[in-house]
Amino acid sequence: MDSLLLSQYLIAGLVIGIIYALMAIGITFIYSIMKMINWSMGEFYMMGSYLQYFLVVYILGPHLWFVGIPISMAVIFFVGLYIQRFLLKPMFVGEMERKDEYATVITIAMMVFFRNLAVVLAGPNQFAPPDYASPTYIGPLPVSGNRFVALVGTLLILGLFYLVVRNTWVGRALRGSAQNRVGIQTAGVNVLRVDQIAFGIGVSLAAAAGALLAPIFLVWPENGAVATMKGFEIIVIGGLGSIPGSLVAGLLLGLVESMGSVLISPSFKDVYGFGLVLFLLAIRPTGLFGERQRVA
Amino acid sequence: MKLQSRSYLRYAVIPLLLVMVLFALPDGVGAKEPVKIGVMTPLSPPGATLLGKFILQGARMGAEYVNSTGGVLGGRNIELVIEDDSGTPEKGIAGYRRLVTQKGVSVIIGQVHSSVMIAVGDLAERLGVPIFSTQASSKTITEKHLMTTFRTHAIDPDRARMWLRFIKEIGFKRIAILAENTDYGLGLVDETKAGMAKMGLKLELKSLIFDKKVVDLTPQLLELRGWKPDLLIDIHSVPTTAYLMVKQAFDIRLFPSTPILASFDWPGRSEFWKNLGDKGNYILFISYYHPKMKLTERGEWFKKEYLGKYGEFPIYPAFNGFGQIMILADALNLAQSDKPAELITALEKGRFTSWNGLVTFERGEGPYWHQWSPPLMVLQYTRVNQSPKDAPILYPPDMKTSDYTKP
Repeated sequence: MDSLLLSQYLIAGLVIGIIYALMAIGITFIYSIMKMINWSMGEFYMMGSYLQYFLVVYILGPHLWFVGIPISMAVIFFVGLYIQRFLLKPMFVGEMERKDEYATVITIAMMVFFRNLAVVLAGPNQFAPPDYASPTYIGPLPVSGNRFVALVGTLLILGLFYLVVRNTWVGRALRGSAQNRVGIQTAGVNVLRVDQIAFGIGVSLAAAAGALLAPIFLVWPENGAVATMKGFEIIVIGGLGSIPGSLVAGLLLGLVESMGSVLISPSFKDVYGFGLVLFLLAIRPTGLFGERQRVA
Repeated sequence: MKLQSRSYLRYAVIPLLLVMVLFALPDGVGAKEPVKIGVMTPLSPPGATLLGKFILQGARMGAEYVNSTGGVLGGRNIELVIEDDSGTPEKGIAGYRRLVTQKGVSVIIGQVHSSVMIAVGDLAERLGVPIFSTQASSKTITEKHLMTTFRTHAIDPDRARMWLRFIKEIGFKRIAILAENTDYGLGLVDETKAGMAKMGLKLELKSLIFDKKVVDLTPQLLELRGWKPDLLIDIHSVPTTAYLMVKQAFDIRLFPSTPILASFDWPGRSEFWKNLGDKGNYILFISYYHPKMKLTERGEWFKKEYLGKYGEFPIYPAFNGFGQIMILADALNLAQSDKPAELITALEKGRFTSWNGLVTFERGEGPYWHQWSPPLMVLQYTRVNQSPKDAPILYPPDMKTSDYTKP
């Protein structure tokens, strides 16, 4: 096999893998704290991409695209806070009891609602913000400047996220809540408030992915569907609730898709990812970094 | 007391005035029931909503045109009943039933997705109300020879034949096809292979199939770059992912050094340059319409009114939505009835003026049953932000305005 082509596939797989990880990390973060799956995560990705497009094209201008990303994240963070407060909090009856089916119904309803709202407000058309950077090379692979920016941006956001979770009071409260929702209350932490913050952070990560990837995957009402699908593949591979798992699984998925394409056929690119999911479910149902949970 | 008598006056006088106004209206106004035409098209995800939007715009203007020029069947208006099929067969079937059994439409237009049209076609045959494909191109649709199925859109064999003739003329030898895994994509790959054999063309052909929803085609494009084709034929049914493919092909330096031929006219849309900028230059595309084409009087009216209403020139799906309403208005008048069975007879017998010429629906052989095909041509953009009206026509020879420009 042509070694140049092989190295191009490897690099392309790593680049898309890191981007996949950003798509998945919000889902797994929300699950790790609230123990619920947000099925509308792709729609927060979509909202982030629309906001970024609006900011870059109408307010900031193409040279200040990087300012749009934190603004999009902040706006979606507050949207998330309010959605959690009014739509999801009621599932915690008497502070602790969850009604999982309630969360499923609400988040799926939000998915349909936001997707169709985007069609009504912005039409079914596609939009593309101006390129973030000029085309470049990573090793032997010619890549778009946008992909390079997305790669660097993802690493920065994940690094920042790690620092916040590791070194701040809010981060400690979030980690405590993820470990033991009852125990953390004895330390005086309002677990429902922590849920609200976790939901806000989780959806703002999805918005960051949407804003970063807007010039690559464009802006349209359904652009979050792929993010959701890849996100769920990754959390199954990495382990539900494991943040390092999401990162590793994202890279793994990107590499498997890319190498499967070169070694077998690119026609079945998505099948390789699902094959990996099935394989892991068979040998390690909790995922690479997941742990067995005791259900009361 | 005074207040009460004023109320009595109001209650008595207003209805009296209304009755008088009704009697004063000319004969027929407000009295004749409208003829109902269903427009079932994708207006929400996951369907091709943009196509649905254009078709609906065209159909609405068609109804306006007919109603403002005396209506049909001696002064009856056309009323459109809108149904969203979301591009899914199950919603298409439910929508067709609703339009026929609850809304009482005489005919339905607006179909975009071949999978929906194929599923609904069988039901239409049982319920007897005709259905028109406006942009669904699978040859299976008309190959079944159903009495209730009609189409005014290009079919796969014609499209494949068009690009094979173009390939022959330019002299391309290595052809790559990137096709989605739908009736549309797979059907066109088969038609291309069949057409090559029929035309005796000796080409090296490599086809890669991808899932319709895939947004990252870099692995496929990298493989094609290694194969070094003379031409890449792109078969997407949804422009969104086609834009992504062109961007990705440009990013890995495959396009424009390897030219891309789009299988339909999505590059003719106004958002093409906004989404792709200079990355879209030199693209080749199959089109059914060129802004410099000669249109019928109705077509010219539509072009002018559409521009005034929406601020841009209409594109093919809008023309086709408009044209189907024109055809149906003529067919209703010919049938002198809005009963579906009589309408079908009229559609088979008549010659109708659409936006671009005379249309007939003969009982042709194979997929040419109840089929009318628009003219097909190959266009190319030769500079950034070029308007479709300035895009040169490369093929067929009788319409050609310029030679192929090598990037």
